[in-house]
Formats: sequence, structure tokens, C-alpha cells
Amino acid sequence: MSNPFEQEKRNYDATPIPEELDERVRAGIAQGRRRAAARRRFRSLAGAAACMVVMVGALNVSPAFASAAAEVPVVGGVFRVLTVRNYQETNEDRTLAVEQPVVDGESALVDRINAEIAERVAAKTAEGEQAIADYREAFLATGGTQEQWAQHDNKVTVTYDVKSQQGGVLSFSVTSDVSFAAAYRETVYYNLDMNRDAELTLADVLGEDWVNVCNDAIRTEIAKAPENYFAGDMGGFTTVDDTTAFYINGAGRPVVVFPAYTVAPGFMGDVEFIIG
Amino acid sequence: MTQRELEEYLIDQQTSLYRLAYSCLRSREDALDAVQSAVCKALEKRTSLRDASAVRAWTTRILWNCCTDLLRQRQRTVPLETVETTGCEDPPPEDDSLGRQVEALPPEQRTVIRLRFYQELTLQEIAEVTGCPLSTVKTRLYAALKRLRVSMEGVIL
Repeated sequence: MSNPFEQEKRNYDATPIPEELDERVRAGIAQGRRRAAARRRFRSLAGAAACMVVMVGALNVSPAFASAAAEVPVVGGVFRVLTVRNYQETNEDRTLAVEQPVVDGESALVDRINAEIAERVAAKTAEGEQAIADYREAFLATGGTQEQWAQHDNKVTVTYDVKSQQGGVLSFSVTSDVSFAAAYRETVYYNLDMNRDAELTLADVLGEDWVNVCNDAIRTEIAKAPENYFAGDMGGFTTVDDTTAFYINGAGRPVVVFPAYTVAPGFMGDVEFIIG
Repeated sequence: MTQRELEEYLIDQQTSLYRLAYSCLRSREDALDAVQSAVCKALEKRTSLRDASAVRAWTTRILWNCCTDLLRQRQRTVPLETVETTGCEDPPPEDDSLGRQVEALPPEQRTVIRLRFYQELTLQEIAEVTGCPLSTVKTRLYAALKRLRVSMEGVIL
């Protein structure tokens, strides 16, 4: 049927559009990207503190974590360095799919790393479950129906990736993710020197001058396509430090990783720089 | 919704956003300011948008808040005598075009009419944009239609 406001709607649609609108929208986008990146950095710090609390709760209340049925395939050939505990659990709101790597061996380091991974898995899955519960509440409160909700395929996942395993050094990552919100995606890297029973540092690989070596390599790379990165004074790359994530690639070279949005716009994803 | 998808959506919807801002602010410069700051805020708060299908109501709400903020600022700085004095009880203007009559509606009714018929939002979306219960949105809409003496026959609610 006709809209009694048809003429008014036509007038409204005929509102003259200023030429600079597109420019102003793009300026807003650039501004928003920078603020979002700053916000995320702050959140990840606050999140790390909050995780410690969530984790204790999750370990105590969730039998899924206490008694997760463990399948144990062997990854990585001769040394049996890594085994995996897989489990999957589905309820009406979400699927929980976890591949939790476990380092084989008996040493204080191995125990500590395994405990840390287990804690991380527990914390991240609890965080994901909470995010989905919040989402469900908001979805139903804003007019979504139970049937529509049931069509969502929400997943909380933890996966691992073996980056390299050579000369007694095992390098792998653990990624946690919630399917509907990219902001929950987080990857941590572990580099274990089994010979020294210690975690490998960039200084071990690159020597005393590792900070300069990394910074030079990264600046050279950024200079090749500066438009893909945030400028230094706009929250972009400044320097590597002890907290900078890295792994050892198949060629034995260290690869420094910055999470999405920290040194470059989101479309770049996690940003990696091969050093040396 | 990924950052990229949201950026593309905002670029795609820019004229629609501008029209709404202009209809509220009646100033080209202010409307441009409102759109720019709404775009910035949307990206900054992207993760609070959990359901991509609600993106239209969500961005409209952000824009609407930016416009309201600008109006408030303006009321603080504009000399009193130039502030619109049309009250709820004033009769419709002499010029009886529907557009003029809509402008003469009380602000909350005018908003519902604009969002529903010009911006073509659903009543549920209007409730989300204005932060009012759906029943309030309906009450305002019916009151406005009655006041405008528009026959509700044929009005798609």
C-alpha cells in the first residue's frame, strides 16, 4: 500500500549531498581505527588481569575441564615432544572445540608450560562461554526468537600450530577464538629449548643486540609499504621488547608477531616480520 | 562483523546517514560533523555490535546520539530567541504541507515519523535507536499520525 509520506520521503531523499561527505566519512574511519586499536591494547591488559579470576572459577565449577576426555595422538615424530588433548562438547548455545597441546617430558619447565596452557585453555573457554551467554541475552532481549537463536552456530575454539621442531627447539602457538567476535581471537607463542630446559628468548637467537636487529629488520619491511601500517606517532610500531611475541619458522629463523590492530589496520590481520 | 565489513557498510550508507543527520540538524556543517563522529564511534565500539543483522539500528542509534549531542551543544551556545519555540500544543502551521506539519510535531513524535517513513526503519529498530520500549514507539507514532490527520489506512507499520 502507499506511504502517505511518499512526497515527503521524496523530498527527504532529494536532500543535497555535500561533495566532501565521502572525505569526511573516510576521515571518521581513520580516526575510528586508531581509537579502536588504542582501546584494544588497553583491553588486552585489563583482560589479562581479569582472566586470572575467571580461570579459578572455571576450574572449580566446570567438570568439563576437570574430566575432559583426552585423546592422545602423537605429533611431531621422533621426539614425542607434543601430544594433544582433544575434546568437543556441544549444548544448545554453542560448541566447544578444544585441541590442547601438551609437551611431553619431565622437567620443571615442561610442567610449568603445560600448566600455563591448561590455565589458558580454561580461561579462554570460560571467557568465550560468557561472551556467548551475553550475546544470547542481548539477542533475545532485542526481539530475537529462540528459534532464530538456535540457528546460530556459535563456537569457542582452541587450536594449536606447531611452527617448527628442530635442534631441540620446539616452537608452537595456541590460538583461542569465539566465532562471532574477532576481538576474542588471541594467539600465544611458546618456544622451548629442550636442551637447556629453558624458554628461548630473542636474545638467545639473535645475540645481545637483538632489539636493534629486530627493529632494523621491521623498519625496513614497513618502509616497503608504509601505507599498510600505522605511523609511529599514531600508535604504530616503535620497538620490540621482552613481551614481543615470536616463533621460530621452518627455516630456523625467528619471526616476530604483532597482533591485529597493534601496528597496522585490522585488514592486515596479525602482522609477522621474519628477522635475519 | 569484521572491521572491514563495517567500514564498507558505513561508506555504502553515507548518504543515508547524512540525510538523517541533516533532517535533525538542518545544517550542512553540523550534519557532516555528526556523520564523521558517528563513523568514528561506530568503529571504536565495533565489538559491542554482536549481531551483524542489527547493524542498521545500531549505526542509526550512534548517529542519532551524535546529533542529539550537537543539538544540546547548540542550545547552550545559541541565543535564546532563535531557539525553536514550537510547543506541543501549537496548531499545525498555516502552510498545510505534510512536511511542515511533521516539522511542527513534538520532537519525540517527529523522530518516530522520520525514522519510520523517511529512513524506513522498522518499529523494533526505532525502539533500539531511541532506547524506548516498543510500546512507547507505537504510542508516539499513533499520536503523531492522529495529529497529522493522516489516515492510518494504508500506513504500513
